[in-house]
Amino acid sequence: MTADKVESKYSKRHSRWKLILLALIIALIAAIILCLNIGYAPIKFSDILTILGKQIPLLNGSINSSSVSPVNQAIILQIRLPRILAGAIVGAGLAAAGVMYQGVFRNPMADSYLLGASAGASLGYTLTAIYAGSLALTFLGLGIFQIIAFIGAVLTVFLVYFMSRVGNKVPITTLLLSGIVVNIFILALQTVFELRSGKALIGIVAWIAGGFSNITWLDIYAVFPFVMIGIVLAYFFTKDLNMLSMGDDTAQHLGVNTERVRQILLLISSLITGAVVSISGVIGFVGLIIPHMTRLVIGPDHRILLPASAIVGAIFLILCDSLARVATGASELPVGVITALAGTPFFIYLLRKRKTSYSL
Amino acid sequence: MVLLSVDGVECRYGSVKILENVSFTVKDGDFVGIIGPNGSGKTTLLKSISRTLKPYKGTIILDKIDIYNIKSIDLAKQMAIVPQESNIGFSFTALDIVLMGRNPHMKRFQMESESDLTIVRKAMNRTNTWHLADRPINELSGGEKQRVVIARALAQEPKVLLLDEPLTHLDMINQLEIMDLVKELCTKEHLIVLAVIHDLNLAARYCSSLLLLKGATIFAAGSVENVLTSENIKAVFRVDTIVRKSLVTNSLFVIPLSPQKSSVPRNCAIHIIAGAGTGTVVMKALFDEGYEVTAGVLNMLDTDYETAELLKIPTVSEAPFSPITEESKRLLSEMIFKSAIVVVTSVPFGYGNLSNLETALEAAKRGIRTYVIDEVPIESRDFTAGIATALMVELKKSGAIFIKHPSELPTLVNATHDRIELRKHAQSEIPGHMKNKLNSFTKNADNKEVS
Repeated sequence: MTADKVESKYSKRHSRWKLILLALIIALIAAIILCLNIGYAPIKFSDILTILGKQIPLLNGSINSSSVSPVNQAIILQIRLPRILAGAIVGAGLAAAGVMYQGVFRNPMADSYLLGASAGASLGYTLTAIYAGSLALTFLGLGIFQIIAFIGAVLTVFLVYFMSRVGNKVPITTLLLSGIVVNIFILALQTVFELRSGKALIGIVAWIAGGFSNITWLDIYAVFPFVMIGIVLAYFFTKDLNMLSMGDDTAQHLGVNTERVRQILLLISSLITGAVVSISGVIGFVGLIIPHMTRLVIGPDHRILLPASAIVGAIFLILCDSLARVATGASELPVGVITALAGTPFFIYLLRKRKTSYSL
Repeated sequence: MVLLSVDGVECRYGSVKILENVSFTVKDGDFVGIIGPNGSGKTTLLKSISRTLKPYKGTIILDKIDIYNIKSIDLAKQMAIVPQESNIGFSFTALDIVLMGRNPHMKRFQMESESDLTIVRKAMNRTNTWHLADRPINELSGGEKQRVVIARALAQEPKVLLLDEPLTHLDMINQLEIMDLVKELCTKEHLIVLAVIHDLNLAARYCSSLLLLKGATIFAAGSVENVLTSENIKAVFRVDTIVRKSLVTNSLFVIPLSPQKSSVPRNCAIHIIAGAGTGTVVMKALFDEGYEVTAGVLNMLDTDYETAELLKIPTVSEAPFSPITEESKRLLSEMIFKSAIVVVTSVPFGYGNLSNLETALEAAKRGIRTYVIDEVPIESRDFTAGIATALMVELKKSGAIFIKHPSELPTLVNATHDRIELRKHAQSEIPGHMKNKLNSFTKNADNKEVS
């Protein structure tokens, strides 16, 4: 490619990015409608569209929903739609948080789980199941389990972060090391409590495996703001993330207040992770692999990488959860199993397809 | 005029002082080379100026503003840094990297504008990297990568450019091209450039002034001629050097001699007959072995003469391009007959220095061990119509030992020296009946060596 073509490509970059996002949003909507169709009760696409259209304020007058049975309407609106939207929100949140962690720490292995978020949430959930499961406490639509899991996730990430502070800075290596150590420690505590949990154990194990089987609209109302506002706030710092990838010193010399950016993004991504983990349990792989996959296709610029990864993560998790629902007949597979089984081969394919080495 | 003043700066890591009482001022158009041994504080100085390491004491004022009192984004509009090595995470293209140089001039949500792209294109053309624009930075060679990083620095449109050992991993052509470019920026765009440079020759060739650091503080500062003297280099780097002005580049260059070995002084005089640079290696080698080396007759300004001066070797000297006078020949004889060993290098012989060879022959005849380095056949360096060649034949007959290469010399000389020592002991300490045995033993050894 000649250098002049390069120049025109760059001046058109903004519109190219808009096009990518538009295409991804259309794909997301298509995936949602497709997955609404999946399930034991066969419901026609036309019925699905009618039911959805009826929910849109300006459109509902002109749609005649008399042909749709109330049972189907309930299945779509009360069972399938919340579950699918929860998958989208959790997928988007995990992927966006993954982009932030990888960018902030310049490390391909960094994700919210490595920094202890899931371990903290699991421990919180376990403690609640054993000692406070009967409390009917709610806050912002979240039940006691969600609240404690959320607190556990955020507390653990910040414990790791402050443990690894050296003077005024947080060296990446100490951060990852203390993350690993804290993970092991919490896992040990987790085992101790699980052994004493008695009948609650089944519930705990099921929750840790991750999934969306008990999702309600209340969960979605509670978590959506965290994820949406988090991603929007993080977008303010995407240019800084680009420069952080060249190391702290260089980023500073280019005018980035590195330590402040790091703290803000760590806070945002931990809040997002804590929120999504509290409703979905532990779903691995999405936060690690979706940012890598997206980067391989559209490039490393965080200004497009962050929103694109979020949408790709949403689509990916919706599809995986739908597979989990129907793959093995009567009993559901944990969605984490599907994300790993479906994601790994695709990721390997992308990795091998590139002629040059993929470097972070 | 833009001024950068560093005033009384002291830097510490914990309680260890890395820099102490560093003060200097530079103005636009200055290209300052920061030189000094490892651990002298060069990089720390650059870090404190680039606001990476806040000084414990002192101020750094750029254009009347204390750089520690402004936002990092405002400093980035004025100052750009080229690090020693850029480890760039993710595979951004070269153009992406250079566009990041525009960041200090952009608002948070602003996309790069046409004018940003124009500035970036200009920067990349200057550094000869525009053709790499679309290539991922991680696939570029070291030299290309470094040029892209310099382009990024230029895209910042700074007043000050700091370079931390920018040439470390670069080959010769890349080193020269990058230094040429930086020099040009300095003179044409009136940038202030401060560069940590390890290569003293490149520093001497390109910098307008030098800052020589030693033990956390400034040892010398000023023009290249004033700073880069062999005395200063010896004091700071502990290496003997020859500093000369290159006629080709009209700049100083430094030739390091190998660090002196700490050998035991040997109470044994060796005289070296050389000239035209043929004796420098030998003089240095024997000097390092601890011998009392003397030399001559040498013409002043001869390379060997300069080496002798540098090593402070006693020398009989003659005016430049002048034949050896009777007086010099007498001084030479005095010197040479006191020596235990004489070395004749493969110096060309003309009528001017024939006396040297005659005196060496005299010494050989008197039984002084004589080594002749016969690297180049005498016929091709005899400019006396055969007189020198004849003297060489005579030398050989008188017991002089001919060797092919100077590197063989120290071992042979050491062996001779040990025998001489042994003989001295034999004569003073060993009882009579043993003396004869020893004498015959050492004589045998001598004969073996000759054959």
